[in-house]
Amino acid sequence: MPRLKSSAELEKLRQKILSKRDPDRPTIAICSGTGCHAYGSEKVNAALEKELKKQAPKGEVDIRRTGCHGFCEKGTLVVVYPDEICYVNVKPEDAAEVVRSAIDHKIIDRLLYVDPTTGKKVTHQSDIPFYKHQNQLIFGNNRQIDPKSIDDYISLGGYSALSKALFQMSPEEVMEEVKRAGLRGRGGGGFPTGRKWQTTRDAAGEPKYVIVNCDEGDPGAYMDRSITEGNPHCVIEGLAIGAYAIGSHEGFIYVRQEYPLAVDNLIIAIEQAEEHGLLGENILGSGFDFKVKLHRGAGAFVSGESSALMTAIEGKVGEPRPKYIHTSEKGVWDRPSCLNNVETWANVPLIISGGAMSYASIGTEGSKGTKIFSLVGKVNNTGLVEVPMGVTLRDIVYKIGGGIPGGKKFKAVQTGGPSGGCIPEQFLDSRVDFDELARLGSMMGSGGMIVMDEGTCMVDTARYFLEFLADESCGKCTPCREGIKQMLDILTDICAGRGIEADIELLEELSEVLRDTSLCALGGTAPNPVLTTLQYFRDEYEAHIKEKRCPAYVCKDLVAYYIDPAKCKACMICLRNCPADAISGGKDTIHVVDQGKCTKCGNCLDTCPARFNAVVKISGEPVPPPLADDERVLVRGKE
Amino acid sequence: MSEVTLEIDGKKVTAEEGTTILEAARCAGIEIPTLCYHRALSPYGGCRICTVEIFRGRRSRLVTSCVYPAEDGLVVNTKSDNVIRDRKVLIELMLAKAPKAKAIQDLAREYGIKETRFKTEDPDNLCILCGMCARVCEERVGVSAINFVGRGVERDVKTPYQGTVDIDFDVCIACGSCASICPTGAIKLEDITAKKPAPILSEFEMGLDSRAPIYIPFPQAIPNVATLDRSQCVHFATGKCRICEEICGADAINFEQEDEVIEIEVGTIIVATGYDQFDPSVIPQYGYRRYDNVITGLEFERLSCAAGPTEGKILLKDGRQPESVALVHCVGSRDQNYHEYCSRVCCMYALKYAHLAKELAGADVYQFYIDMRCFGEGYEEFYKRCSEEGVNFIRGKVAKVTDEAITDEEKGKLIVVSEDTLLGKMVRVPVDMVVLCSALEARSDAEDVAKLLTINRRADGFFLERHVKLDPVATPTDGVFIAGCCEAPRDIPDTVAQAEATAGKALSLISKGTVTLEAAISTIDESICHGCGRCEEICTFSAPKVADKDGKLVSSINEALCKGCGSCAVVCPTGAVSIRHFTQDEILAQVSALTEAK
Repeated sequence: MPRLKSSAELEKLRQKILSKRDPDRPTIAICSGTGCHAYGSEKVNAALEKELKKQAPKGEVDIRRTGCHGFCEKGTLVVVYPDEICYVNVKPEDAAEVVRSAIDHKIIDRLLYVDPTTGKKVTHQSDIPFYKHQNQLIFGNNRQIDPKSIDDYISLGGYSALSKALFQMSPEEVMEEVKRAGLRGRGGGGFPTGRKWQTTRDAAGEPKYVIVNCDEGDPGAYMDRSITEGNPHCVIEGLAIGAYAIGSHEGFIYVRQEYPLAVDNLIIAIEQAEEHGLLGENILGSGFDFKVKLHRGAGAFVSGESSALMTAIEGKVGEPRPKYIHTSEKGVWDRPSCLNNVETWANVPLIISGGAMSYASIGTEGSKGTKIFSLVGKVNNTGLVEVPMGVTLRDIVYKIGGGIPGGKKFKAVQTGGPSGGCIPEQFLDSRVDFDELARLGSMMGSGGMIVMDEGTCMVDTARYFLEFLADESCGKCTPCREGIKQMLDILTDICAGRGIEADIELLEELSEVLRDTSLCALGGTAPNPVLTTLQYFRDEYEAHIKEKRCPAYVCKDLVAYYIDPAKCKACMICLRNCPADAISGGKDTIHVVDQGKCTKCGNCLDTCPARFNAVVKISGEPVPPPLADDERVLVRGKE
Repeated sequence: MSEVTLEIDGKKVTAEEGTTILEAARCAGIEIPTLCYHRALSPYGGCRICTVEIFRGRRSRLVTSCVYPAEDGLVVNTKSDNVIRDRKVLIELMLAKAPKAKAIQDLAREYGIKETRFKTEDPDNLCILCGMCARVCEERVGVSAINFVGRGVERDVKTPYQGTVDIDFDVCIACGSCASICPTGAIKLEDITAKKPAPILSEFEMGLDSRAPIYIPFPQAIPNVATLDRSQCVHFATGKCRICEEICGADAINFEQEDEVIEIEVGTIIVATGYDQFDPSVIPQYGYRRYDNVITGLEFERLSCAAGPTEGKILLKDGRQPESVALVHCVGSRDQNYHEYCSRVCCMYALKYAHLAKELAGADVYQFYIDMRCFGEGYEEFYKRCSEEGVNFIRGKVAKVTDEAITDEEKGKLIVVSEDTLLGKMVRVPVDMVVLCSALEARSDAEDVAKLLTINRRADGFFLERHVKLDPVATPTDGVFIAGCCEAPRDIPDTVAQAEATAGKALSLISKGTVTLEAAISTIDESICHGCGRCEEICTFSAPKVADKDGKLVSSINEALCKGCGSCAVVCPTGAVSIRHFTQDEILAQVSALTEAK
């Protein structure tokens, strides 16, 4: 493949690719992101390929292994084009039927998505409520692209933004466009991207570096993974445009080692772009040189912090540096370095090709464009959702997320990962953007959104995040290393029933000190989960401390499983399923849980037949003593 | 470098651009506590104790002063309510981490913290993870033998893979920098390396004290400047350090200095190369270097000096004061086996030490002598005084020094076994310390110096004077003079007198402006000479020298040195050398005149 030497040649190639594609030809798109991979998409793919050889040996049907579609609850996702028929939870056994239906342009009813609110089946992917209420400007392309093929990307208009920037705009004009679009960093800080680019451009020192932060460490967040797995070229294109604006000729993509598919696909994408003359020397004959290197992470959350990431690129241990020296002036090897999140870079081609005004027309006053969230936890439709800034939390959780499973009650939504906070029900109608979430005491962070219901203990949630941060703290500064550990100890004590009154005040005091004196944002924002849960759910803390009671029945040390003798029908199901042999009883003897042996696994609660419903969780009160032996004999009357 | 002006605690402070708030404050006399800061290391910003509050307009921030640059117009408060509150909690956290560390306890006391509300995991832990040990080893020593391992609460300081693999990654050079810079005493060198630190022994302190690689040799050194021992300097070993260069306010340190060979043409050379102390370890029965408390005279000299390693206290190796001291005369002198001559100064300095041992340590003193040679001004009187002070004089040559006790009284002591000629029997005297009056001998390189300057040495090794009675400071070689102990052992007044004599002699040569030469000296006919060098070989006065002259090797005579003895003329195979006024023709003419008939 000879290198493209001009904008015109790129266009010609695009036309050539498009002309070879027949829009009416059936195509089976199978989602091959990591989520569906876990569902066994590899096996489905193998089965489909086998079927295609059998049923369409002359290549009448195309197959495309795409990136993540976002609706991870319903993997493996298969979409058949040109009619955009969406099949959910596809198994290898369904392969033959899927291929048949593609050839015959028929629909397989049983594999369609069923809308739980209406009970009706939905045929087209875009009609599924999960997708309908989203605005997938960035993410939507994943469905059309095989990430290992640059042709797919080009066919959708890929690299035309880069071409426009290089040939029709000066670097300053590109910078202005990004500034006017109001793009803010999608990694968590929400810093105005254009301003960061300008600082880097103005800083003294050569060479200048541009860096993609794909170290996505927040538990539950996987937006960047899906973008880099499914559409690596849009990140590369955005990076190249940024490099042109800043005056950089060398870029790094820092990918965490735990994303092997992203690493693979990025390597392939970089190679292909270089082959096509879209990276490397004299891109598209414009005279602009830009090369990209991939750097793999070594397994530390803290390395996602921008100064720690740059230290890691230098080959040292990823530890943050003092923040008074801006990395955009002194970054990697003390050179000006502009670091942005994957999603931020992915927004850039959109801004350049569509224009700043068009981009800025979406979103709120302070936060423009769309944001991809990973909606997880106690919600029906878990997955990745892309919405314009300003959509309400309620819409995300209920309209797109499909509400809380099991008919349970919404309690809170945690945003921003371990640096963020929990937002309770009364703020469900808040419009999601950088400033609003910060006002509520939380933050947007990288986009993790964990939904919680009445069965989530907020104290345990705070403890969980502190446990994560204690593990991931780099250990350099005293407040983070020692302070988080002590906060974790206090919370662990509270969850174990050892909390005392002074604990809450101590937690608040420690939180202030961590906020003030930590070296980086890991320590500085570590108190957020504690502070927001204290702010909105103080009663839970007090119940744990004063009454030794866990209102959500989660904290094992404060919860006991009890079989109600009035309801127990001595069916022996729970007895047989208890892994600790803690239940005594017989065919006609009411079952009793031996609290000394019970490991609080919850099996008895799960296995007790719904019509009996005899097992309950008790917290905060003593377990009633078992009945005397003779009272335990069950007299079976007529029911 | 431009200057910035800022306000710290209400005080106006100016500083060079690029200084940190901490450094600017310290220069202005404002103390901010630190734990992980050291001026020889790059700032770390880890302990956060140095946090201060800075104000710009209405906004305020809490920053670490060791890292934050002093900016123009900045307002800093090092003791604001926020700062104090935060600092106290940080100290509490540290107190929980290392409750026994004195540095933390001191800080806690200063801030009124009596106990910590936080849990302690290891009450014996002293390490506060300030990182100074790792940083000094990397930045200054340059070997990075230890560093941080583990993340977060698992963080610790170790050698690479310490305790986890069977490979020895011991690159430690046992310099001890980590242990000495550690603020809490957490670092023990034996935990890091099996190598033992080897102190650099100070030559001036007779090995009783150590010195740094860069040092001023002794307090009254001339010139009174430091010198750098390249063989021990860390910079030359690893390429790092250079702290001395950074600290020196006069920019006086230059690592690029090399030895320069300078050629000077002179007319007079004065040799004053001094003496060496005889090493008594070649006399094994005296126990030098076998027993800790057998020392030489020069070592006692350093012990008794107020500026010395023990600040003037006479101490045994284990730090106790000796209750009894023995002084042994004539070690290596007046001895057929070693030096037959008398070292002249030992009797008097032995008396001096006897007196000092009594005065400084209140010890019983036993002086073993052959003669008491007290020849000088006030010397005999001093001898009498020491005797009156209660010094025990035992006339006899010491046979041996031993630690093998026969009686209870001798246990744990050094026993000096000697004959007492006045009593007519052997005596055993148990003492705590034995001082050996070691002989003064010629320098170990005396032979090389003699060859270089073509002067001679006597049988006793010292340089040969022209005439032992009538010309003691000149040598047979004209223009080369000797002064001081290089000529023979002598004490201070005599050395000073001799030095003045030598100087006088040299000055008289110089002030004359001209040198009167012998008239009848050698001369070389260069057309005949072919540079065989026999004349140079035979001359005791180093007058002829063979050198290249216009492409030809020829000998030439240094007329100032030639004495006209004629030896060169005799050995010259070609007859190129002849003595002026003694040419063949002149001699024949004399013979003719003698034999002429009247």
